Amino acid sequence: MRVVVRGGHVVDPLLGIDARRDLVIENGFIAGITEHADTNGARIVDAANAIVAPGFIDMHVHLREPGQPHKETIASGAAAAVAGGFTAVACMPNTDPALDSPTIVAEVVRLADVAALARVYPIGAITRARAGSELAPYHRLSDAGCVAFSDDGSTVADARVLRNAARYARDVPGPFISHCEDACLKGHAVMNEGIASARLGLDGSPGLAEDIVVARDLLIAEDTRKDWHIAHVSTGRALDLVRWARSRGTAVTCEVTPHHLFFDDDGFASYRAAYKVNPPLRDDDDRAALVRGVRDGTIDVFATDHAPHGLDEKAQLLDAAPVGFTGLEVALGGYAAAVPDLPLARFVALCSTNPARILGVPGGSLAVGSAADVTIFAERPWTVDARLFHSKGKSTPFDGMILPRRALATIVGGAVVYEHGRVMPREDHEPVTV
Amino acid sequence: MNPRHLLDVDDVSRDEIRYLLDRAEAFKGAEPARDLLAGVAVLNLFFEASTRTATSFTLAEQRVGADVISFAPGASSLGKGETIEDTAITLRAIGVRAIVVRHPQAGFAKRLSETFDGHVINAGDGAHAHPTQALLDLMTLRSEFGRFAGLKVAIVGDILHSRVARSNIVGMAMLGIDVTLVGPPTLLPDAFAVGGVRIERDFDAVLGGVDAVMMLRIQRERIAGSLLPALDDYTRNYQLNRHRLRALRSDAVILHPGPYNRGVELTDEVLADGRSRYVAQVGNGVFVRMAVLDFLVNGAKVVA
Repeated sequence: MRVVVRGGHVVDPLLGIDARRDLVIENGFIAGITEHADTNGARIVDAANAIVAPGFIDMHVHLREPGQPHKETIASGAAAAVAGGFTAVACMPNTDPALDSPTIVAEVVRLADVAALARVYPIGAITRARAGSELAPYHRLSDAGCVAFSDDGSTVADARVLRNAARYARDVPGPFISHCEDACLKGHAVMNEGIASARLGLDGSPGLAEDIVVARDLLIAEDTRKDWHIAHVSTGRALDLVRWARSRGTAVTCEVTPHHLFFDDDGFASYRAAYKVNPPLRDDDDRAALVRGVRDGTIDVFATDHAPHGLDEKAQLLDAAPVGFTGLEVALGGYAAAVPDLPLARFVALCSTNPARILGVPGGSLAVGSAADVTIFAERPWTVDARLFHSKGKSTPFDGMILPRRALATIVGGAVVYEHGRVMPREDHEPVTV
Repeated sequence: MNPRHLLDVDDVSRDEIRYLLDRAEAFKGAEPARDLLAGVAVLNLFFEASTRTATSFTLAEQRVGADVISFAPGASSLGKGETIEDTAITLRAIGVRAIVVRHPQAGFAKRLSETFDGHVINAGDGAHAHPTQALLDLMTLRSEFGRFAGLKVAIVGDILHSRVARSNIVGMAMLGIDVTLVGPPTLLPDAFAVGGVRIERDFDAVLGGVDAVMMLRIQRERIAGSLLPALDDYTRNYQLNRHRLRALRSDAVILHPGPYNRGVELTDEVLADGRSRYVAQVGNGVFVRMAVLDFLVNGAKVVA
């Protein structure tokens, strides 16, 4: 089977390509990048006026399965992924039960194979049931397919437990990923603490709740020499801490979401939970600091924190409504809207090259011989209509907005799984997970 | 255009505030005007316990002739799982024209107003707003001083948790009143120093220079929440007492939205002091609420 992605602007920072090229795929692998490919007998993907990049990897999504299939399943999440231009996602372990045993991880891998869309990489729990006390079996989780470890929104509160976990798991491939929020400082907050919360009479969580855990975890990373990744950084000071840790030689990476880059906390004037997320949307100073962090290279990765919930759940009053919202199908547009003039090579590095390197997974490059995971996108303004999402989560603060960029086609392992607005599962049933 | 709802003071203009206070003054000296809202069903929906506000609204509604329905559901239950939006539609279909609502969560009145095809009057939503309280405070100040511009007012105490403070800050700013907020940093974060509002930690430094001081209720829960140490540490700095009364100007007035805690934010001497206006405030509340109901349902009677 031969596929030619024709006439696109190929951008691959690892190969140093940033030019109009044809991309040739044979039997699921990249076979060549040429100025004019022979299209005889090939399936042609028209990439005129579009950008062709190594497949985008969203290293922070919540697929809700097992446990909450009304919010999302592996299949619906994988469909949302390819529709949003992602060839792979890494799913957080806050399922029910948590991804803390090889059996459950194997089931996630199996469901992803059945869906036959995006590659799905499970992230294992750091502690059993994400309860913060007993260590999860890292080696066996790794054997089952876990590419990183995190207790996700349940920040490991006990520094001794986290330190021991990091020491024990130091030689297990994949970083520890920290969702940094101090539960005591956060309290019952529904939004960021600041001028907006003061005006609106809502309980706010200070940026300090994040920064204090970022500082602790960076020190534990230095102490244990475990690879570390800070999830969804939301404050300027947390970025300063990352810079400081790197200056001391600590191997730390970090990610930022489209919503933290684009929105500040003024949206809460609506008193609607569409804006409720952890960590909370911060004020405009922090938002601007995140944009600077993307430009200056402090931030390694764009990640969505795709967190689908039922619309009825998000329609509840602020304190009862769940945190988070769907992200996969608006992400490309959200990033471009928030950081409009970011060079394409940097954009591709943040969406593909860097997450592939950090997770140690295939992809991140269009080098000949690598698996043919390809994202084709264009600068084409479109209006977000969340009702049309493939995800079961129909809530996003981007709903109704015009975004400047979107995915046109997605190729996973040489199979065109998304094109012309349609999601098409692979027919060859080659397992798409590793 | 006439506003549909009163969710906070800034739903009405500066001129409309003056109009509402004029109407309230007129109601004060007159017989009840039972024809104004004759046949109009008004629902009092109080999700949070209230004595004075609920009573004041009920009396105001009766004095303008409304059909009054009062309902006090539990704080967490509304309509057996029904959403706010569905409840709003149901209540309108039953024939309710106006809802007076109090709820422990900020934003509840706003959410209700977005689907209720009638009038919503916010009688207090969490720590966010309590516009009729601010209007009655403004009425009390105006009847005292005959003007707003240039008045200096200190609001003292637990600003962070106070919907009364927030609505007064909004209303006073609209009318050119100079507002100073006084309290400890845990109950008065620096984030309140916006839009010309000043923050002062030293109560004694502002006492002698204000036309009015508004004392807010201090709740004992703030101690368990680690926002305050023992109350005597708070009262040392922020209690209005015999000693501080001497520093207050003779022509100044003391306001309190009630209910007050004797011995905490103020002492018995303050309540007995000739400058206290808490009784006048409560009395004005009924007339302000009559004016608001009439204005929202019928519009302005004269050009404001």
